[in-house]
Amino acid sequence: MASLRDIRKRIKSVKSTRQITKAMKMVSAAKLRKAQEAIMSARPYAQTLEALINELVSRVEPGTVNHPLLTERPVKKVEVLLVTSDRGLAGGFNANVSKQAWRYLKDEGSKMEQHFVTTMGKKGGDYLRARGFSIRKDWPGVTSKITYDTSTEIANEAAKRFLDGQVDAVYLAYNEFISAISQKVTFVRLLPFETGKKVEGVTKIDFKYEPNAQAVLNALVPQALNVRIFRALLESAASEHGARMSAMENATKNAGEMISSLTLFYNRTRQAAITKELMEIVSGAEALK
Amino acid sequence: MAGKLKVEVVSPSRRLVNQEADEVIAPGADGLFGVRPGHTPYLALLQAGPLTINDGGTSKKFFVAGGFAEAGPDHVRVLAEQAEPLEGIDLAAAKKRLDDAQKKLDALSPTTPEHAAQAARVKVEARRVEVAEKR
Repeated sequence: MASLRDIRKRIKSVKSTRQITKAMKMVSAAKLRKAQEAIMSARPYAQTLEALINELVSRVEPGTVNHPLLTERPVKKVEVLLVTSDRGLAGGFNANVSKQAWRYLKDEGSKMEQHFVTTMGKKGGDYLRARGFSIRKDWPGVTSKITYDTSTEIANEAAKRFLDGQVDAVYLAYNEFISAISQKVTFVRLLPFETGKKVEGVTKIDFKYEPNAQAVLNALVPQALNVRIFRALLESAASEHGARMSAMENATKNAGEMISSLTLFYNRTRQAAITKELMEIVSGAEALK
Repeated sequence: MAGKLKVEVVSPSRRLVNQEADEVIAPGADGLFGVRPGHTPYLALLQAGPLTINDGGTSKKFFVAGGFAEAGPDHVRVLAEQAEPLEGIDLAAAKKRLDDAQKKLDALSPTTPEHAAQAARVKVEARRVEVAEKR
């Protein structure tokens, strides 16, 4: 049976764990707010850009412009970009999205001639490596400090590999931010780039272009690609903090429950010891009579 | 022509302008162009340069670099990779950035693709200084 001192020690340790999880929760809450603001302020640009591409594609005479990043070809080589976090302790955050990527690689990727994995955030790489996949490239530190420049770099590399024929399709796996307590694993095709479909029967006046439609499209498509990656990184960051916040909230609650049950057990044990001692004294006195 | 233009200026990290205005002058790929209400649908690439928004007697100026401007009869949307209010540019800092960019450029061999990218960056920085000096 555990001695009183052991139980006391145990309570103390659980209490300090609770302190830590509580602090982590607060930190995540603060970071979440920041990440959410970042998403909000990036949204207008992303939305307008996508709208612009769709407008262009729907207005321009079919067949007059094209872009190599929009061209589909038979998919023999595929690449998956996996966005996770550098740190764990965020519930199912990393595992869910990694599992999605892993499943795709296992089911679809193995049928292809070649498949590649590029990771952002350490955890996804760890997950896939443990399951026997090699990571072609890791972008270290991009998930902790998200800038438009780094996402441009990532997008450029992906686009270059696509254009050089090293891959025929690129997929992006990340956690989409729904709310502070919920994230959605998202797995989308990044390249060839998909634009909105042309609506039949609706003819809009075509734009006048400066310098010309092709040049504008040439500039628009890579931008839109950057923005998608930029947004995925932002969404993932916000999701990470949200997931960590609720994981830590749960941990704090569980620690609290554990403390109260341990305290109950401690008091009961102490009372039992007192009762036992009393009995001994009483029976000792009784015997002397 | 009655009415006003709905003007939006957004960069990847934030929305700088969301207002109504009488006239917008933007640095298109082929030179500055002005938009007033009733403009024909227009989609232009932007080069680095000054963006002016005139509304009544007031005017706001920005420095924009890279991106697009879409104009219609009742709106203008400017998507700039970089955008900042002109009065917010610190001339000394801008000059220093130009110097740094130039030094980086000189260190690169002229045949690499990095050289071209860096040269474009130098051009943007030079334009920023130029526009800021003229304000």
